[in-house]
Amino acid sequence: MAQLLFNGLVTGLLIALPALSLSLTFSVLRFANYAIGAQITLGAYAVYLFNVPLGWPLLLSTAAGMVLAVAVGLLVQALAYEPLRARSSVTRLVASIGVALALENVVRFFAGNSPRGYGVEIARPLRIAGLRINQEQITIMLSVLVALVLVWVVFRFTRLGRAMRAVADDADLAAVRGIRRGRVVAMVWVLASALATLAGVLIGLDATLDPQMGWNYVLPVFTAAILGGIANPMAAVAGALTLGIASELATLVMAPHYRAIVAFLVMAVLLLVRPSGLFGKQWVAK
Amino acid sequence: MISYLIATSALVIIAAIAGLALNLQWGLGGLVNFGLFGFYMLGAYVCGLFSVWGAPPLVAMAGAIVLVALASAATSLISIRLSEDYLAIVTLGFAECLKLFISYEEWLTRGTLGIPGIVRPFAAYVPQGYGDAAFLGFAVLCLVVVFAVFERVARSPFGRLLRASREDPAVADTLGKNVLVLRLKTFALGGAALGIAGSLHAFYYTYIDPTQFGTIITAYAFMAVVIGGRGSNVGVLIASFTVIALLEGSRFLIDVFPVLDGSQLAALRLFLVGAGLVAILIFKPDGLVREYRLRATRS
Amino acid sequence: MSAFELEAVVAGYGGRAVLHGVSLSIAANGSLAVVGPNGSGKSTLMKTAVGLVRPTSGRVLLEGGDVTRLDAPGRARRGLGYVPQEANVFRNMSVRENLKIGLEFVPGRVRASFAQRLSAMLELFPELEPKLGTLAGHLSGGQRQMVAMAAALMPAPSFLALDEPSAGLSPRNAALLFEVIGRVARYGVTLLMIEQNTRLGLGAADEGLVLVSGEVKAKGPAAGLLDDPQMRSLYLGSR
Ligand SMILES: Nc1ncnc2c1ncn2[C@@H]1O[C@H](COP(=O)(O)OP(=O)(O)OP(=O)(O)O)[C@@H](O)[C@H]1O
Ligand SMILES: [Mg+2]
Repeated sequence: MAQLLFNGLVTGLLIALPALSLSLTFSVLRFANYAIGAQITLGAYAVYLFNVPLGWPLLLSTAAGMVLAVAVGLLVQALAYEPLRARSSVTRLVASIGVALALENVVRFFAGNSPRGYGVEIARPLRIAGLRINQEQITIMLSVLVALVLVWVVFRFTRLGRAMRAVADDADLAAVRGIRRGRVVAMVWVLASALATLAGVLIGLDATLDPQMGWNYVLPVFTAAILGGIANPMAAVAGALTLGIASELATLVMAPHYRAIVAFLVMAVLLLVRPSGLFGKQWVAK
Repeated sequence: MISYLIATSALVIIAAIAGLALNLQWGLGGLVNFGLFGFYMLGAYVCGLFSVWGAPPLVAMAGAIVLVALASAATSLISIRLSEDYLAIVTLGFAECLKLFISYEEWLTRGTLGIPGIVRPFAAYVPQGYGDAAFLGFAVLCLVVVFAVFERVARSPFGRLLRASREDPAVADTLGKNVLVLRLKTFALGGAALGIAGSLHAFYYTYIDPTQFGTIITAYAFMAVVIGGRGSNVGVLIASFTVIALLEGSRFLIDVFPVLDGSQLAALRLFLVGAGLVAILIFKPDGLVREYRLRATRS
Repeated sequence: MSAFELEAVVAGYGGRAVLHGVSLSIAANGSLAVVGPNGSGKSTLMKTAVGLVRPTSGRVLLEGGDVTRLDAPGRARRGLGYVPQEANVFRNMSVRENLKIGLEFVPGRVRASFAQRLSAMLELFPELEPKLGTLAGHLSGGQRQMVAMAAALMPAPSFLALDEPSAGLSPRNAALLFEVIGRVARYGVTLLMIEQNTRLGLGAADEGLVLVSGEVKAKGPAAGLLDDPQMRSLYLGSR
């Protein structure tokens, strides 16, 4: 039981980063970014590029991969989403499916379809207080927690964070208070791409890299974000943890490969009962 | 050469029917069905299973149509009070879960082994070697029927109401029409067409497995609708027979481009689909053909 | 020299013009009140002034410089403060954060720290003192109006655009607000103001302008407009 809870926590933390990324882009840009999965994949492979073919250590590769993924994120914003800025949010949502398809297949084109892994040694699991804990799980927990705290501090207490929240709240009012939307949007993509990349690396460490890896996370990530009330980034984290633990507990009664179905059921029930999200008690505009 | 042509045409026709279904649901009704491939897959599997259980092909197809329509109606129910963003994720969730279910419930679906030996309609009456041509004829017939029905729907009072509620749900509400029932009917009707498309898929390949179904099917349908012009059935047909035909035809370019291997070519094709979809949204927002009503009322 | 000018401005939304060639000018440290019926384009005029709506023709001049092509953040940096009619605060942020954002992204006209400006604002609006930690979305309409006003005043702008500043305020608070506006005006601020309450609005301004259906129907000294019986019966109502 404790083991299940622990595994659920780790699963939840893995979902938390992309859920946060999704929620960030949603709150500022007002559209559901279905390319979040492809961004995870792209990030994971960008890191792989530095780690395996170039032989850089994983930490350095992660930093380099983030830079590459951020560049791609900014490019996609400039080429795809910015021209659609004045159009309906559904148009951008459909565009994001196109972006997802394009990004995923860039990866397939260069890396092929077969699974890959990072160049790390497999360490023996530790036993702490009766729990079986992998090295990867420790890496995941630490890096996600550090990333979350960092994002939280930026979001809550810095000038940039206030600018992001202001644009999310009311873009026109933010403009007349002197906030340049373009810069805020760019910073949102920087953060969102970096978070997706980190998630990609951790998922790749946990399992393997394949071009489909990010897509498999789209459903849980959306569920987590919706659980949190989609426009509320920090609540998305709480949503992710809830979902992670719920889906791990569900393996008591369901086969493990049906985790996604648990996510879907949780989301369906929630949407019927509380469309504003489980933790969405924020003042909702309009 | 002829067989390439027939193969491409068959795939294009199936894509066109899926496009028409999405055009009804999204183009006309404003309901974003991101899980289109799931309903399509359901159609293929129901038809395939009924067929291998011994049902005549047309009966299997009818079963697929009814079941997909019901599943669509049920899915739209989940999103009663929700905006488009949520409907998109609910339908996508349904599709992904269905795919998982089909991949793992081997007792029912044979899982990843797939279902072989699906019998095409009228197979007994078709002389040897003409199977594909006969199938093509049947597919064209299906396309004509779906097109005719959807054109009627678009011009009927129901179609007008749909457009009105797409632009502003409150409008239909104040007219005393129940938006929920409207959504449900639209989704079910579109689902029926997806049942047809899925069945044709099963008939064409005579073998189905879960890997044949994925977001690419959804993306094709969105391309057809966006290129054709949201709401225009004629536009969907034009888009299918030009752009999708080109893309599908490029499958057979492997022989021409020996530099790229098969999977790279496939990746390139899918990249073009994705990038193309975004480009059309940006550069040709109204598509090729204006919606039927717009010609009449825009000054 | 006039501090602010519109020259034959045509502007609207999505290709449909709402303003049909509006011209006006405000002298430095002067004030202009725009009045007119609902939907006549007053708020549109104001959005054009601050850069949220781009004119299809005509020019916008700020202190003699052409700012027609300058976006809203650019104009804010040139010392233009604005209180919108509705949606005038960041609802998911605390009052303190709202005030902070007021100063953070524009160079203030006076060199002062956030703490100094904050206490200056709290002197003008003492009611906000106990509410600093509250989410702005949880305030009453009148309180939000005060927060919006204070946020716009944080950088001590040289030009202030107010869209119905007294909306939602009790008569007593409206009177207090106009007293604040009067005080601010004396610090050397050029004022463009829209008021539903014509008597209050025209009473607080030097000049008045009557806007009907996107066209200027009359302009002149505010007192003159108020006293003109024809104006009163035609456009200003009997208030
Ligand atoms: N964002 C918008 N998009 C499209 N049309 C708009 C928009 N805002 C206002 N309008 C239209 O422009 C016209 C003028 O509106 P505006 O808000 O400027 O009027 P107003 O004089 O401020 O009215 P009120 O006294 O009610 O505040 C109205 O017909 C309105 O419908
Ligand atoms: Mg107004």
